[in-house]
Amino acid sequence: MEYSNEFLVKLYEELLHCRLFEKKLVDTYALGKIPGHIHSGLGGEACYAGTLATRQQGDYFKNSHRCIAVANLLGVSLETAFSEIMAKRTGNAGGRGGVNHVSQLKYNMLGFSATLACDIGLAGGAAMRLQYDGIDNIAYTFYGDGTANRGPVHEAMNLAAVWKLPVLFVCDNNQFGISTHVSQGSSVPNPAADRAASYGMPSAIADGTDVLNVYEAAKKLTDHIRAGNGPAVLECKNYRWRGHFEGDQTPYRDKKVTEEWMQKDSVAKMEKLLLDKKIIDQATIDNMYQQFDDEMERAIAFAEASPAITPEEIYEYLYV
Amino acid sequence: MLVTFAQAVGDAMKEEMRRDDRILVFGEDIAEFGNIFGITRGMLEEFGPKRVRNTPISEMAFIGAAMGAAETGLRPCVELMYADFSLVAFAEIYHCIAKWRYMHGPEYKLPLVIRSAMGSSFGATGEHSNCLESLYMHSPGLLVASPSNAYDAKGLLKEAIRNDNPVMFFEHKQLYKTKGEVPEEEYTIPFGVADIKREGSDVTVIAIGLMVGRALEAAEALAKEGVSVEVLDPRTLVPFDKEAVRRSVSKTHRAMVVEESNKTSGVGAEIAAMMQEEMYDELDGPVVRVAALDVPLPYNIELEKYAIPDAEQIAAAIRKML
Ligand SMILES: Cc1ncc(C[n+]2csc(CCOP(=O)(O)OP(=O)(O)O)c2C)c(N)n1
Ligand SMILES: [Mg+2]
Repeated sequence: MEYSNEFLVKLYEELLHCRLFEKKLVDTYALGKIPGHIHSGLGGEACYAGTLATRQQGDYFKNSHRCIAVANLLGVSLETAFSEIMAKRTGNAGGRGGVNHVSQLKYNMLGFSATLACDIGLAGGAAMRLQYDGIDNIAYTFYGDGTANRGPVHEAMNLAAVWKLPVLFVCDNNQFGISTHVSQGSSVPNPAADRAASYGMPSAIADGTDVLNVYEAAKKLTDHIRAGNGPAVLECKNYRWRGHFEGDQTPYRDKKVTEEWMQKDSVAKMEKLLLDKKIIDQATIDNMYQQFDDEMERAIAFAEASPAITPEEIYEYLYV
Repeated sequence: MLVTFAQAVGDAMKEEMRRDDRILVFGEDIAEFGNIFGITRGMLEEFGPKRVRNTPISEMAFIGAAMGAAETGLRPCVELMYADFSLVAFAEIYHCIAKWRYMHGPEYKLPLVIRSAMGSSFGATGEHSNCLESLYMHSPGLLVASPSNAYDAKGLLKEAIRNDNPVMFFEHKQLYKTKGEVPEEEYTIPFGVADIKREGSDVTVIAIGLMVGRALEAAEALAKEGVSVEVLDPRTLVPFDKEAVRRSVSKTHRAMVVEESNKTSGVGAEIAAMMQEEMYDELDGPVVRVAALDVPLPYNIELEKYAIPDAEQIAAAIRKML
């Protein structure tokens, strides 16, 4: 595919933001500033940034727990995101939902369920709404390779296919569900793509460490969906760089293999391409790192200075 | 106008669908077939396949879809054939639908109704006879309605459809054919307002769903013995009209809860516990629970009857209280 320089820089910027955000989460968690658990998305950024580069105004999104940066990509301010992550009143749910639930409906985000796969069907519902109103947008739903084995995923795929709903199912196949390797949990080598055929859906497998490769695969499938042909499945192969949660020492996998995969760095690949083609220079790249880091630091300072909700507010948001 | 409970439910949906074109219904066998009880009959013809859809047997997917549709601006009134099968989508309902707004923020509204037929119906056995209100009362964020007659069913369902909160709406199978007076003109019934189905002064019987009729029968029998029974129908369990209960027991000072579900961890357990915490001073004795036996409901009709409270059992339990 031919790309404009502008497109490549924008794609790189979104990929980089995912990387830096996920890195910042790890660092902030290490400082003890985040309650609960985080699931670092380092290693999987290209799956999200590449797929979402196909998004259009009016599309709907169901994110996973693996790349919280997506919320910011879709419009949620860093202040709101870090406030929710740090359990402050200024978060989208006032700190009632937390890191996995950074979501705002005004950016067409459908929310997330920590009961994995129970939210997969939401994209079908949003797609029903699009179909109902004759709007030709689509809905994206992200999930992991482990989650690919849950029943709701299969029911949602079948329903979307039967009703020809405009849904892109995107599997972030980082090869593990906590400690369980994908080969232990799935009877087929590609837990999402191989199963698409049984629902009569097209699918594609992308190199999840190469954001352009993901984009190209996603573009083909989303064009197909936008043309009114019903749902499709995209599976991105990558590797979870860190443990399932922070503190997971990953005794279940070979450190050498991890290191090999970390060489397949999606951000470094894009930087090399942009530098080789002289689309941007190193100083510009350095500046992009610095600028986003400053923005995140300001947002974290904002969140830290924000009050938490009080016990009097505990019932708020429960009933309309 | 005398209509059946089933007709009242169907009319409520049709009237609401005529009023608001954001409302759609889907579920198993509800389109051409008109649902197994005939409730949605005529809806496909009137509203077309866009608004009246058959789903595959995929409760997790279509409940999830209902949620996604509700979030994004439709008002789904979905049918989950039997309450028993709501458990198939239990996590979707209990975790997602109930908690969504709380966990994601106030802009997330879920105008969504899940209707289910429930309760015993002559040999339907353990997986097709359950009354599960208490499970859904346990997940903050849900509203729970369990009407006992055609009038209440229609008014409550219209209210449920208009509400921006998710509602679990239970319809007892044995009530579907019962007839009741329903006005021609439009009405709705607010949630959280109990109805005194019979006034009395000696004992308050809080009865739910099918048990309201049986409590009324018992009250009638006891009246001949000079015992005055007040029958209170909460109509909705979430929200629950505590004040109506307080008003009633401050007069009678004795209370009983009658439900069709089995006793352990049932609706009665909750109401009795609440009353002893909040209305102890009004009570002259313990709150009595009359409920089904703690067994999977047997197939054998005689045993099924034995397991579920009837008017005689209710009357006998009331006599013991006095
Ligand atoms: C229904 C359900 N079962 C189990 C869990 C516990 N759990 C949380 S994350 C996880 C692994 C998920 O693996 P995968 O889908 O591959 O996503 P990843 O974490 O690798 O991004 C598990 C088992 C859960 N949250 N929900
Ligand atoms: Mg995984």
